[in-house]
Amino acid sequence: MNHLMSTDSLDQLIREASDRVGKTWPLYSFVTSNPLSGYEGLPFAEAVLRAGRMRGADVLPGAALFRKALMDGEIKESALRDILKENGLNEPPEYYLEQMDAATEESGDTEGNALNRMTAKWVMAFLDEGLAEWAMPYKAEGFYHAWKKLAQFDRELPRQQRRDFPPTAREAIRMALAGFAPEEQNEILEQHLAALPGWAGYVRHRQESGTSWQKKFPMDLEQYLAVRLTLARKLGVKLLAEKKGDIKYVGCLRLKYLWLEAWEQTWQDTLKTALSGGQEEENASRRPQPDAQMVFCIDTRSEPMRRQIEQQGNYETFGYAGFFGIAMDYEDPANGLSRKSCPPILPSAYRVRESHAHGKEKEFAAYAYRRELDRFRNYFLRRIKNMLPSAFGYVEAAGAFYGASLLARTWLPAWVYRVLRKSAPAHEHICEPVLREATPPGDGRAGLDPVAAATDTDIPLDQQVAIVKGAFDLMGWRDFAPLVLFVGHGSHSANNPFASSLDCGACAASPGRHNARVLARLANRREVRSALMYDHNILIPESTHFLAAEHNTTTEEITLFDRDLPPTHSNLCYHVMQDLHRAREAALARRLGSLPKPVIAAERLAGDWSETRPEWGLAKNAGFVIGPRELTRDLNLDGRCFLHSYRWDLDTDGTALEAIMQGPMVVTQWINNHYFFATIDPERFGGGDKITHNITGHHGVLTGNGGDLKSGLPFQSLYASDSEAYHQPLRLTVCIQAPRERVGGILSKNEHLKTLLDNTWIYLMVLEPGTGEFYRYDKAEGWTTASAQSPGKYPTPTPRKTELEVAGMY
Amino acid sequence: MDLLTDHLESRKPEAGTICRNESRFVNWVPRLLWTGFALISILAIALYPNFPEREWLGLIRIDGFALLLGATVTFFSALVASYSRKYLTGSRHRKRFMALTVGFTFSVMALLISEHLVLMLMSWLGMGVVMSEMIGVRSGWREARQAAFWSRRYFLGGSACLAVGILLPAFWTRSFTLHELLAAIPEIPRPILLVTATCLILAAIIQSAMYPFHRWLLSSMTAPTPASALMHAGFVNGGGILLALFSPFLFASSTLTLLLAIGGLTAIIAQFAKLLQVNVKQKLACSTIAQMGFMIMQCGLGYFTAAVAHLILHGFYKAYLFLSSGEGIVQSAPQEVPRIRINGVQAVMVTIHGLLGAWLFTWLTGKGWTLTSDIFLTLIVAITVGQATYNIVKHQVLSLLQRTVLPPVLYALGIGVYALVFNGVELFMSGMPLVSESMPLSAVEIGFGLVFLAGFFIMKLGVYMKFPGLYVRLMNLTQPLNRTA
Repeated sequence: MNHLMSTDSLDQLIREASDRVGKTWPLYSFVTSNPLSGYEGLPFAEAVLRAGRMRGADVLPGAALFRKALMDGEIKESALRDILKENGLNEPPEYYLEQMDAATEESGDTEGNALNRMTAKWVMAFLDEGLAEWAMPYKAEGFYHAWKKLAQFDRELPRQQRRDFPPTAREAIRMALAGFAPEEQNEILEQHLAALPGWAGYVRHRQESGTSWQKKFPMDLEQYLAVRLTLARKLGVKLLAEKKGDIKYVGCLRLKYLWLEAWEQTWQDTLKTALSGGQEEENASRRPQPDAQMVFCIDTRSEPMRRQIEQQGNYETFGYAGFFGIAMDYEDPANGLSRKSCPPILPSAYRVRESHAHGKEKEFAAYAYRRELDRFRNYFLRRIKNMLPSAFGYVEAAGAFYGASLLARTWLPAWVYRVLRKSAPAHEHICEPVLREATPPGDGRAGLDPVAAATDTDIPLDQQVAIVKGAFDLMGWRDFAPLVLFVGHGSHSANNPFASSLDCGACAASPGRHNARVLARLANRREVRSALMYDHNILIPESTHFLAAEHNTTTEEITLFDRDLPPTHSNLCYHVMQDLHRAREAALARRLGSLPKPVIAAERLAGDWSETRPEWGLAKNAGFVIGPRELTRDLNLDGRCFLHSYRWDLDTDGTALEAIMQGPMVVTQWINNHYFFATIDPERFGGGDKITHNITGHHGVLTGNGGDLKSGLPFQSLYASDSEAYHQPLRLTVCIQAPRERVGGILSKNEHLKTLLDNTWIYLMVLEPGTGEFYRYDKAEGWTTASAQSPGKYPTPTPRKTELEVAGMY
Repeated sequence: MDLLTDHLESRKPEAGTICRNESRFVNWVPRLLWTGFALISILAIALYPNFPEREWLGLIRIDGFALLLGATVTFFSALVASYSRKYLTGSRHRKRFMALTVGFTFSVMALLISEHLVLMLMSWLGMGVVMSEMIGVRSGWREARQAAFWSRRYFLGGSACLAVGILLPAFWTRSFTLHELLAAIPEIPRPILLVTATCLILAAIIQSAMYPFHRWLLSSMTAPTPASALMHAGFVNGGGILLALFSPFLFASSTLTLLLAIGGLTAIIAQFAKLLQVNVKQKLACSTIAQMGFMIMQCGLGYFTAAVAHLILHGFYKAYLFLSSGEGIVQSAPQEVPRIRINGVQAVMVTIHGLLGAWLFTWLTGKGWTLTSDIFLTLIVAITVGQATYNIVKHQVLSLLQRTVLPPVLYALGIGVYALVFNGVELFMSGMPLVSESMPLSAVEIGFGLVFLAGFFIMKLGVYMKFPGLYVRLMNLTQPLNRTA
C-alpha cells in the first residue's frame, strides 16, 4: 500500500515530530531549558516514560542517588515508608533499592552506527560558525541542496548510490516514507529526530531564533530529516527501528517515582518548617530605615551573599529577576554583536548599545581603536597559522613564547587572572548605555556608534516609567534608602566552554550588569521620578540615588558602576563598599572555608585553566520562595532557593504576582528541570564529562571524536566526583505567600501555568497570610493543607494508546 | 537561626571526600616530575657548553641530546601532571592517569638514554602501550576502548618495524649497542641497509602520524585533554628522535629523499585538511600532522638539528593550544573573507622584508644561500616573513609608522628567539654524527620545492575553494576510525 501524502499532511507530520525535539542552545548563550519541553503537555510521569523510551535515556534518579539520599537523611525514612505502604509496597526500603539495582541495565553507549556518524559529519560541517577557514561548499543554498551536490563525491557511500538524489528535501522525505502506514511515518520521523537529539535540537534553535548564520545558510528540521532519511536509504539501513516492549522498565519507573516523591516531600517539610519560623518576624516591628538597599537576582547564588551583606550592617536586600524588567538586546561594543539580555521566553522590546560618556570621547576612541587592533591581531594570527608555509615558520618563531605562557598559566593562575582582568579593556567607565526601541531583530555586525546620542534613550517617558514602576511593584517596595544598588551577576572562569551557563539565566546567559546599569539610569532620571510621584504616587526622595553593580559569583566580588554620586553620598558609598568587601570575605570563607586564603583561592578558581568546577552555578536548586525577605531573612537556605521579593498586601489586584508567576516562575522551572534531567542522565540530557570535550563550530561541544552535539550542563557542574552527585534532582517547589484565591485566580487565567502544575513538572505551595497555614496545590484535590500532608500517589500513567503500542511496538 | 544548617549544609567537595591515598599519590606525581625537570636542567646548565658523553655497561648513555630532550619531556609531563591533578579532580580515572603520565615519562627517558638496542626497543614499545592506555583511559566508554584498540594496533606495528629495523643489522654485525651499530654501517650490505632504513622510516612515520598512518591521531580525542597535550607535544616527536639517533643509516642508504617526499606531501595535505575542520581538537590534530610532516621534511633535507628544534618549539605551541582548547566558544556573525590586494609600494616592501628576514636567519643560524638544501629553509623563512609583512602592510587600522615598524620588530624577535633555540640545539647535539648536513639539491628536491610553492599559491589565492570534490576527499580522509565516534 502506498500512502500518498498531501503537502499539508506531510507538513503537519514534520511539525508534530519537531515539537518533541528539545532545543540545544549555543554555548555562548547557554539557556538551561527543559530537555523534555516537548513533552510538557503530558503529566510528568507519562512524559518521562515516553521520552525515556524514545531516547533510550534514564529519566528518574537511580538507586545510587536514592541510597545516598536516604543515608544522609535527605529522604526521611518514615515519609518513604508511608508512601510505599500507600501504594501497597510493604517491604523495607533496602529491598526496593535492590530491585532498582537489579533492573539497572548497563545503559550502554549512544548508538555509534554508520548512519549517525555520517549524519553528524554533514550536519556538523554545515552548522559550523566560522571555525573552519574553508566552509562547506554550496552552504548558502541550504543544507539539503548543499549536501546533495557534495554527496556525489562521498566515497563513504557505495558507488552506485552516489547519484539520483531526490530533487528537494520535501520529495526526499516523501520518498522515504512512501509505503509506511501513517502511524509508522510519525514514528519514523520521531525516531530519526531522537537519534541525534543534540544536533536536531541545534537545528531547531537556529530555525526558531533566525540567527545571522541561519539567514545566510538556511537549515531546518525538514532538511535535516531529508538528508538523514536519504542517507539511511542509500546505506540500506532499516528506517523503522523495532522497540522492545518492557514491563520491568515500567515497574521500576513507578518505584523510582515514589522514592522521588518521598525525597521531594522531605525537602518540602524542611522548607516549611524553616519558613514558618520566619513568618513570625513579619509582624515584628518595622526595622529602622536601612542605610542602603540592594536588589539581587532571584538566582540561588544570591541568597548566601545577601545573608552575608545583611550581617555587615543596616542593609535591606531584595530579590528580582536579574534582567531587571528590561526586555532588551545588548550590543557589545567589544565585537559589535548584539545578544539577548532578557529571559528567552520574552521577545526583546528594546535594544541597548553603548555610547561614549560625556567628556570621554578620547578614551572611547582609544577603546574602539584597541578593539580594532585586537581584531587585526586575531585575523593576522589566523591567517599566519593557516597558510602554507607560514604555519611552520610561525611555530618556530613563536614556540618559545607559548612555552613561557604555559608556565605562567600553570603556576600562577590567580596572578594571571588579576593581570588579565586589569588589562582587559573595560568600557563601563567611559560609556553610557543608550536605550532604544528594538528595530528588526539583529545580531548582525554593526560598527561602534561614534556619534554621541543627544539623549540616552528615545523610548517614550511612559515606558520608562513603567519599567521603573514595575520593578518596585513586583518587589513590594515601601521606602527608599539614600542608596539603592541594582546588583546583576556574572561569572568568571577560564578555559570553560560552559562559561555562559554560569552567568545570569534571566539575561539569557549574559552577565546582568547592562540591565542593571540601564535601570539605575532610568530610576535616576528627574522626569521619571516626577512622573512616578504625580501619576503613580510613588515618592522617591531627592536624596535617594540608584547605582548599578555586578556580583561576580565566582569570586563573590561586587563591582559598582557609574559611581558619579553627589558628594553627600560619597561617605556612605565608601562604607557600603567596605561592607561589601567584608561580606565577600565572609561568603568565601563559608564557601571555600576548607582552603587557606579563600580570596586567593577564589581568584584561582576564576583564572585557572585546569579548573573544571570554577563554581557550582545553580546546582542544588530546589525551592522558589515568593514573598518578603522577612520570611527568609535569618535562614541559611544553603543556596538552594530562588528568592523573589513580593508583598501580597501591596499588590491588591494580583497583577504583580501574575507577572512573577508568568515570568520568573517559568524560568526557574526551566532551570530546575534542566538540572534535574542532566543530573539523572549526564550523557544524554547533560553535557557529559568535560575532560574529553571537543569544541565544535565555535558553538558547542562533542565528546571525544565526534557524535552527537551535547545539549546540557556538563557532568562537572552537577557532580562533585564520579561517585557523588552535587545537585539533588528534585522538582522545584514554589512557595508563595499570598491568599489562595488570588493564586488560584491567576492559575485559572493562565492555562500554561496550570498545565505545568497539573502535570507536576513543579510543585506549588501557598503560605496563607495571617493564618500561617501552608497549602499545597493538587490537581485532583485542590488545595490540601500541607500539615495533613497526604502521602504521594503514583499517578497512573494513561498513555494515549497509539496503534503502534497496541501492535506491541513499545 | 541556622535552622537548615544541619539538614542542608552541603559537604563541599573541597572538604576532601576523595580518598586520601589517591590524593597523596596524585599530589606527589607533579612534584616528582618537576624535580626531574629541575635536576636535568641544572645538570645541563652545569655542563654547558660541553656535553660529554657517558656510557654505562653498554646499556645506557647520557649525552647532550639525552639531556636536551630529557629536559623537554619532563617539562611537558610535569606540566601535564600539574594540570591534570586539578582537571581530573573527582574522576575515578585520575590516579591511573597520573601513573600513566609517569610511565610515559620513564619510557621516553629510557628511549633517550638507551645504548643497548633491546632496551631501546622495549622503551619504544612501552611508550606506545602507555599512550594507547591513555587514549582508552575512560575504559567504560566503548568509543574510547575502540580508539585505544586502533592506536595499539598502529603502535605495535610500529614497534615491529623498529624491531626488524634494528635487530636485522644488529645480528648481521653482532653489535648490540647504538654506537657499535652505527660504527659498523660500512660493513652492512646495501639490501640490508635499505630494509633497515625503510623499517626505521616506517616506525618513525607511524609514530609521527604521517600520511597514510595519520588516522590513529585523528581518532584519539577519547583521551582526556591533557593526555592529548602530552601526545601532541611529546609522543609524536618520537619519530624525529628515532631518525636523529639513526641518521647515519639514512645517509648510508640514501633514503633521505623518501623522507622528504613523505614529510612534504603530508605537510601539504594536512595543512589543506586543517582548513575544513570544524572541531577544535581535529583541527589541532591536522595541524600537528602538518607540523610533523614539516619536521620529517627537515630530516629528509639532512637537518636533524632543525627538526629537533622544530619538535621542541612545536611542543610548546601545541601543548598550549590543547590545554586551552576550551576557549573556542565564540559568538560570531558570518563574514566574507576580505579580498586581499596590495599596491606596488607595498609589494616592494614585502619583498625587501622577506629578503631581510632571510638574511637575518642565515646570519644568526649559519645557514647559507648556496644551492644546497639550505636554500629550502631560507626560502621558507623568506616566505613566512613576506606573508607576515603582507598581512600587516595592507591593514588600514595600523598607522603608517606601525606598518613600517611592526614587521621588522616581529620577525627580528621571532627569528632571534628561534636562532637562540636552534643554536642551543646544535650545541646539545654536537656530539652526534651526521645530524646537520647540507645536501646538494637533486631534481627530486627541486621538484618538491616547486610543489611546495604551488601549494602556497593555491592556498594563498584560494583556488582550492573551487573544488568541492577535494573538500569531500579531505573531509573523509580526516574522519575518525571505525566506531571511535
